[in-house]
Amino acid sequence: MSKKNQDKEVLLMKGNEAIAHAAIRCGCDGYFGYPITPQSEIMETLMEMAPWETTGMVVLQAESETASINMVYGAAGCGKKAMTSSSSPGVSLMQEGISYLAAAELPCVIVNVMRGGPGLGTIQPSQADYFQTVKGGGHGDYKMITLAPGSVQEMADHTVMAFELAFKYRTPAMILVDGIIGQMMEKVVLPPYQPRWTEDEIIAISPWATLGKPTTRKVNVINSLRMEAHEMEELNNILQGRYREIEKNEVIYEEINCDDAEYLLVAFGISARICQKTVELARAEGLKVGLLRPITLFPFPTEAIKKHAEKVKAIMSVEMNAGQMVEDVRLAVNGKVPVEFYGRMGGIVPSPNEVFEALKTKLLK
Amino acid sequence: MNIADIINPANLVYEKTKVMNDTPMHYCPGCSHGVVHKLIGEVIDEMNMQDKTIAIAPVGCAVFAYKYLEIDWQQAAHGRAPALATAVKRLLPDRLVFTYQGDGDLAAIGTAETIHACNRGENIAIIFINNGIYGMTGGQMAPTTLKGMKSSTSPNGREVPLAGNPLDITKLLAQLEGVCYATRHAVHTVAAVKKTKRAIRQAFENSMQNKGTSIVEVVSTCSSGWKMTPADSNDWMVDNMFPQYPMGDLKNE
Repeated sequence: MSKKNQDKEVLLMKGNEAIAHAAIRCGCDGYFGYPITPQSEIMETLMEMAPWETTGMVVLQAESETASINMVYGAAGCGKKAMTSSSSPGVSLMQEGISYLAAAELPCVIVNVMRGGPGLGTIQPSQADYFQTVKGGGHGDYKMITLAPGSVQEMADHTVMAFELAFKYRTPAMILVDGIIGQMMEKVVLPPYQPRWTEDEIIAISPWATLGKPTTRKVNVINSLRMEAHEMEELNNILQGRYREIEKNEVIYEEINCDDAEYLLVAFGISARICQKTVELARAEGLKVGLLRPITLFPFPTEAIKKHAEKVKAIMSVEMNAGQMVEDVRLAVNGKVPVEFYGRMGGIVPSPNEVFEALKTKLLK
Repeated sequence: MNIADIINPANLVYEKTKVMNDTPMHYCPGCSHGVVHKLIGEVIDEMNMQDKTIAIAPVGCAVFAYKYLEIDWQQAAHGRAPALATAVKRLLPDRLVFTYQGDGDLAAIGTAETIHACNRGENIAIIFINNGIYGMTGGQMAPTTLKGMKSSTSPNGREVPLAGNPLDITKLLAQLEGVCYATRHAVHTVAAVKKTKRAIRQAFENSMQNKGTSIVEVVSTCSSGWKMTPADSNDWMVDNMFPQYPMGDLKNE
């Protein structure tokens, strides 16, 4: 990606590259990360763009993902827009930091470009970190606002949205995407440039931030420790209240061919792109199949799925894992209609035909 | 003499620094933390940096350091303080940024973060309280626990084949080019307290002059963990800790 093209409105680039460009453009103050396939392009692009020379953004390669997430914590504690990115095994190392960030009410953005697991796994794509992200891979009761891009355009758009939501609710936000969308190249219109916040703006937006205590206020302490049980419960009540607000206000999903659907597919990320083709194949054979694509995984589009369960005959969740999001689909459907699952593991991407065959086998009973 | 004469500024020989508040400390009687907190407060006050300081607290007895010094604090996960400090200083280069860590925080779980912050030469100061034991969690063995020293996880004394030798982490760090100042002191006598205060001042000045990382190791007592009286702890420290961790500069550039 040469520098001279960045003034053009529409560009062709990898999903990973789009995240880097969008981060600079939305006034990100700091990126701290560690290389891991399939997402190293994010940091490589940032280093190549050298934003410390233009916007003053700090880009630092840390010694591990553990260090990265804690650098994000330090930056976020100062009210700065901070982010990191990794892939599944590295995100496992960040779980402690994520729990701390959630408890300390620190806004930040974390990107997980998922690869096959468990363990060291494979560099091929997967969607097997849904549980880790949405049900909490870190300890304690917390949630992360979770966005699931399905295109290179959404990689750029969700970077901006993730920061907005993170600061709106003082909570970490995760961009959860499979390795294919990180690696694929598509057209993208990058977001407009926003300047980085001045210190006065930070104080106004985040009066709790540690910037050095002036005489006009008490000390600010970024902390997640509450020695008294009732104080800890109070913090948890605040966090839970915030998550209820998020569930009420921030659900985003897309419906494709759902108006007259008799069978519903539910899928996110690249699986949704595949299911779009499956819907075409089904419709060509006269089967009324629709697709619901969650764009926020937390908050989950529970109400939308519940409504569909009133009308359709059966639902199938399609994922690149052993069956994770399907559990949330089942909770939403609450036994109203059969909910089936089709998935591939180990980094294998199902084909539209394969999904269609599974739909016929599992749903047309 | 009336009260006005007594509190005449000309008669004032000592005053608690305003950076240290009146919150009763949770530390054990005889603990070095109290003295070191006071010295840090005094140095910040003398440098006129109270409104420009951001400090990172550890996990350990000093997890509550943020209760006692009137500056902005971030409480870090165990061992991660240097990573937080790295980001804070890089984003706010004109602030005074320091970490305050114990031996488990800095030399066990946080070893990677410690070494790499030092290797990058982050313009921060690291205040390292080394008492050779894990006080907060009930007296377990630390990487800096001495050979033969008893702890709750080395009830028969630290054995080298099992646990290795005591780790002189400051000596390791002094070898890194990113470290401009590595020094070891104590706070068991008036003379030692004065030297420690000068070391802290130098460390803070170094960081504001972008000279790289400074580490001030304060060899300390832990009368609870060592199961001794505070007075005996001081003597035991001089007789046993000092030979392993000698006083003085390891590096001063």
